[in-house]
Amino acid sequence: MKKNKEPQPKKKRRLLDETTKRLIHELRPIRGWVLLSACLSLLLICCAVAAPKLMGAIVDELYVWTKTHTPDLAKRLLPGAALLFGVYALQSAMSYGNAYLLNNFVTRYFTAGLRIRLSEKLRRLPVSYVDKTPAGDVIDRMMDDVGYMADTIYGLIEVLLSGFLQMFVIALILFLTDWRMAIPVVLLSPLSVLLSAKMATLGEKHWDKHFNLGGELTALAEEAYTNYPTTKAFNREDYLQKKYDDLSERHQRNGIFANFLSSIVQPVIIFVDALAYIVVAVVGGWLIVHRGIPIGTVVTVILFARQISSPLERVAFGLSNVQHVKASARRVFALLDLPEEPDPVGTVQPPTRGRVELRHVDFSYDPEKPLIRDLSIDVKPGQKVAIVGPTGAGKTTIVNLLMRFYDIAAGQILIDGQDVSQISRSENRKLFAMVLQDTWLFKGTVAENVAYGCPDATREQIERACDSAYCDRFIRRLPQGYDTVISEDSTAVSAGQKQLLTIARAMLANRPLLILDEATSNVDTRTELLIQKAMDRLMGGRTCFVIAHRLSTIVDADLILVLRDGQIVEQGTHRALLAKKGFYAELYNSQYAI
Amino acid sequence: MRELLSYLKPYKGKIALATCLMAIAAVCDLLLPTLMSNVLDKGVYGAAEGDTFGYILRTAGWMLLTCLVSLASVAGGYWVVYQAISGYTWSLRSALFRKVHTMTLTEVSRIGTSNLVTRSTHDVGTLNWVVSMLCGNLIIIPLMFLGGVVLCMRKDFQLSLVILCAVPLLLAVMLWMSKKIAHLWDVSDEYCDRQNDLVRERLRGVRVIRAFDREMRAHERVTDATRVMSENMIRANVRMSIIDPLAGFVLNTAAVLIVYLGGVRMERGSGLTPGDVFAMVQYIAIILGAIVSVSFAIVALPHARVAVRRLSQITQSQGLEEDRPAQGLTFSGQLALEHVGYTYPGSPNPALTDLNLQIGAGEWVSVIGGTGSGKTTLAELLLAFRTPTEGTLRYDGQDAAALSPKDVRANVSCCLQKSMLYAGTVAENLRMGKPDASDAELWEALELAQIADFLREKPEGLDFKLEQAATNVSGGQKQRIAIARALLKDAPIYLFDDSFSALDFLTEAKVRMAMNEKLAGRTRIVITQRVVSAMHCDRIFVLSNGALVGAGTHAELLQTCPIYREIYLSQTGGEAL
Repeated sequence: MKKNKEPQPKKKRRLLDETTKRLIHELRPIRGWVLLSACLSLLLICCAVAAPKLMGAIVDELYVWTKTHTPDLAKRLLPGAALLFGVYALQSAMSYGNAYLLNNFVTRYFTAGLRIRLSEKLRRLPVSYVDKTPAGDVIDRMMDDVGYMADTIYGLIEVLLSGFLQMFVIALILFLTDWRMAIPVVLLSPLSVLLSAKMATLGEKHWDKHFNLGGELTALAEEAYTNYPTTKAFNREDYLQKKYDDLSERHQRNGIFANFLSSIVQPVIIFVDALAYIVVAVVGGWLIVHRGIPIGTVVTVILFARQISSPLERVAFGLSNVQHVKASARRVFALLDLPEEPDPVGTVQPPTRGRVELRHVDFSYDPEKPLIRDLSIDVKPGQKVAIVGPTGAGKTTIVNLLMRFYDIAAGQILIDGQDVSQISRSENRKLFAMVLQDTWLFKGTVAENVAYGCPDATREQIERACDSAYCDRFIRRLPQGYDTVISEDSTAVSAGQKQLLTIARAMLANRPLLILDEATSNVDTRTELLIQKAMDRLMGGRTCFVIAHRLSTIVDADLILVLRDGQIVEQGTHRALLAKKGFYAELYNSQYAI
Repeated sequence: MRELLSYLKPYKGKIALATCLMAIAAVCDLLLPTLMSNVLDKGVYGAAEGDTFGYILRTAGWMLLTCLVSLASVAGGYWVVYQAISGYTWSLRSALFRKVHTMTLTEVSRIGTSNLVTRSTHDVGTLNWVVSMLCGNLIIIPLMFLGGVVLCMRKDFQLSLVILCAVPLLLAVMLWMSKKIAHLWDVSDEYCDRQNDLVRERLRGVRVIRAFDREMRAHERVTDATRVMSENMIRANVRMSIIDPLAGFVLNTAAVLIVYLGGVRMERGSGLTPGDVFAMVQYIAIILGAIVSVSFAIVALPHARVAVRRLSQITQSQGLEEDRPAQGLTFSGQLALEHVGYTYPGSPNPALTDLNLQIGAGEWVSVIGGTGSGKTTLAELLLAFRTPTEGTLRYDGQDAAALSPKDVRANVSCCLQKSMLYAGTVAENLRMGKPDASDAELWEALELAQIADFLREKPEGLDFKLEQAATNVSGGQKQRIAIARALLKDAPIYLFDDSFSALDFLTEAKVRMAMNEKLAGRTRIVITQRVVSAMHCDRIFVLSNGALVGAGTHAELLQTCPIYREIYLSQTGGEAL
């Protein structure tokens, strides 16, 4: 567990900005518990105040005894000692109780509750967000930022409730005990807060830089290890080593300052504290000698002075972290506040025949660069539509639009005459089975992965689908057959086999429309022949969209759309397009060029 | 552990110095209550001895001096210790990085890239933290404890037994607790990783998940992991939060006992003064503070153990590449495989069997085969990433196993299956293989790879910055930059391992034509599964299941090799037959 991080009184104005208000607002569901914790804190403070008083009284008794030598000292000490023991016991019990409360409610709420809300949020974010944002960024927010908040908010509450209050009460008691000794203590304490605040801000800059450099270092290591073969193939190990060492050195040098400044905060507070202690000793001594106040009073003041330093230290520790927490909170809130994908509630009227029409569709990823302009196609049920074109022509964009991963800017997409913008996204997607170029397997058994599109499938159905996708044989050769756990970076199955599994998945899903995006580019050529047959069977009676570089697979398509820079430049059958001797013919013949 | 700590050796002096400084500070901290008790006993109470206030002032002066010395030495101590630790962390990082780059490909893929990254960042960080704990405050805790006890004993031996009993009791409880918590932390860490993986998986698979309408399930999986993680974490935290109140309770009880027993002993006339009693109460406060700060460290130690174990896996890794000094050889471009076979460690079946092929200098050959045919293994053999487990690979008649891998790689310019680019400018990436290349040469290579136009449109031109993993260019652009890099490097042999997969046929044809012009007379090996990439080569080798099943020209193979014929038919539909 990290040490608590708290705000400081000086920054209070800046502290109460939007983020802080939001944080406080976030606490609403658990405010009852926070309140209870506040009560416990108050009681704790009472204990913390009572203990030195009692201790002072006992020590006083000892001093009195050295003068008077009255008998039965032990007997007279006993009630005080017993009471003191009771107070200490109560204090420990309550402080454990408070920690229990804060952990179980505040920490649970933040670590689990907030993460679950973020996870929930991910469900409703548009695909464009996921495409634009590196996974590491989202994960950082969900893991590190939330974790940091959980650690810190706990401390924040503890400090707001107990730290400041305790300081205030102790100062008050000090004045009531003896104002002459209280003055130096109360004057010197803010000095130490001020000093530590200064150092914390100074340290913060170094910490920021340290963390940034640390991030760069991680990125460099990640790159080096990912590009391992290339680094070696170009004999670049020494160069990279030097680059890494240099960066690491800068990182460390910054770390020295940052760590030093952080570590020195506490000794400085202790020093100022000790100053107060000395002043109390001198003033107290003078008061005893010349004013004849009881020694117990001095003892009490000294014990209180020691107590005032402990909330102070905690406050100081937190100073450098306040901004970090708020930065974390801001990042988390930003994710929570992202606009969500609108989702209509309309349903599809079964049975689906599979007519797909695009009418005057405009679309672009970047408003500055229009990609698809005024695209209109009409696909009859059961037709096979092939989309071809050079890289970057916008072939996969069609998938994004049909699956409604992205929304069109203008025009209409109709399925069986029904405008899809009126249908809920999941209803829309249920019409399609999809095999993407980028195979995706989740961590789970082979069977679970194949049954992804219909979780209720029986083992028999799964095996049948795998058999038609020609993966039954290799699956059976895996260590645990269909129950072998595989994942994205699993080496148990090759890239081609992963592709086969995704084909099996599409087969099992058995949807009326089919999207094949470069589906066969990674599959063994011999298997591919078999897959082609299986695919033909699968495509039978279904409307299919096939995106392929390999023109051989689509010569029999009912309609070939030739895309270039987002525009359909040609459309027709293979034969017609070849006869046209246009762009398609050029593409097709390039296969055989030297 | 010892191995990891050995990097501390150069900093022994600094650490010793820091420890001394910390010790001085600790002694000062302990002296303070003693001086205070003198103020009370002799200054205030010894009024009979004359100038009491003067005594108080003198003692206060001493106290001030003590505080200053303490602050100065603690500051100095931290300054020195962080120098040492930062040096240590630096050398550990550097050594790990070096070590990873001497590992074999097998070893690297066994541990996995993301694991290697975690180890060299997160785990090193943990170790850094532990070492700074050990060298920083942890070292003075026993000192504080012993010093406190000794000072107490000087005041009153019997009373100090109370402290002597309380502290070990407390330490024992803390150790026991840390053991109990360790397991909870392990589970929590495990599920934290799981959460991480699940979210990553979910983001990567967003299209498939949504296509199959499984977002809810994906969300539930994350939620489950989150719950397990936080439950364990909270239980660990709650258990740990016993330590603080418990330490407070034990030591405060000790304080109560001391004042009470102190009174009893004073009454019996042991010569104990109230100032002594008060000093001892304050020692207890110091010891309490020390113990609370050590409790965090003790509980964190299990984390450190995990880090150490994982780091040792790297430092003690066995699969190291043979380190032969490069001789600066230049090959002619001729190479031969004689009965070459390769079996992956731990695999029952060979990936390559009895491969015999001769490639003459300046020849343009292609190796074609489907997934799992052993193509990539062959590429890795040619680049000396692996050594054949059977037979010999010869460059100019010399056994590649006897050559320095560096020499082999200097002579083979390659473009690998996954085009790996580095964060930095395009120019930096291109110059990897030819550091002294002029801008004109760079443009020429980019031109050949059909990517020059793309860069010309960019205002930065050659200085166009690529992000890490080149996420700011498309797959096809990435591949073409990698091709340009390979073309730029001057080498007798060029190896292209599935390097055109992201290019459409038109672009590929252009690249191929440009390449043939530029690389005429150099040995070119094109490893591919696309028949169009292979069909124009001087000679084509057909791989299937790790064995050579055909060799010859396109026309010959169509006649003699049924597998090649099949590949051809499946990919082209046979139009050009």
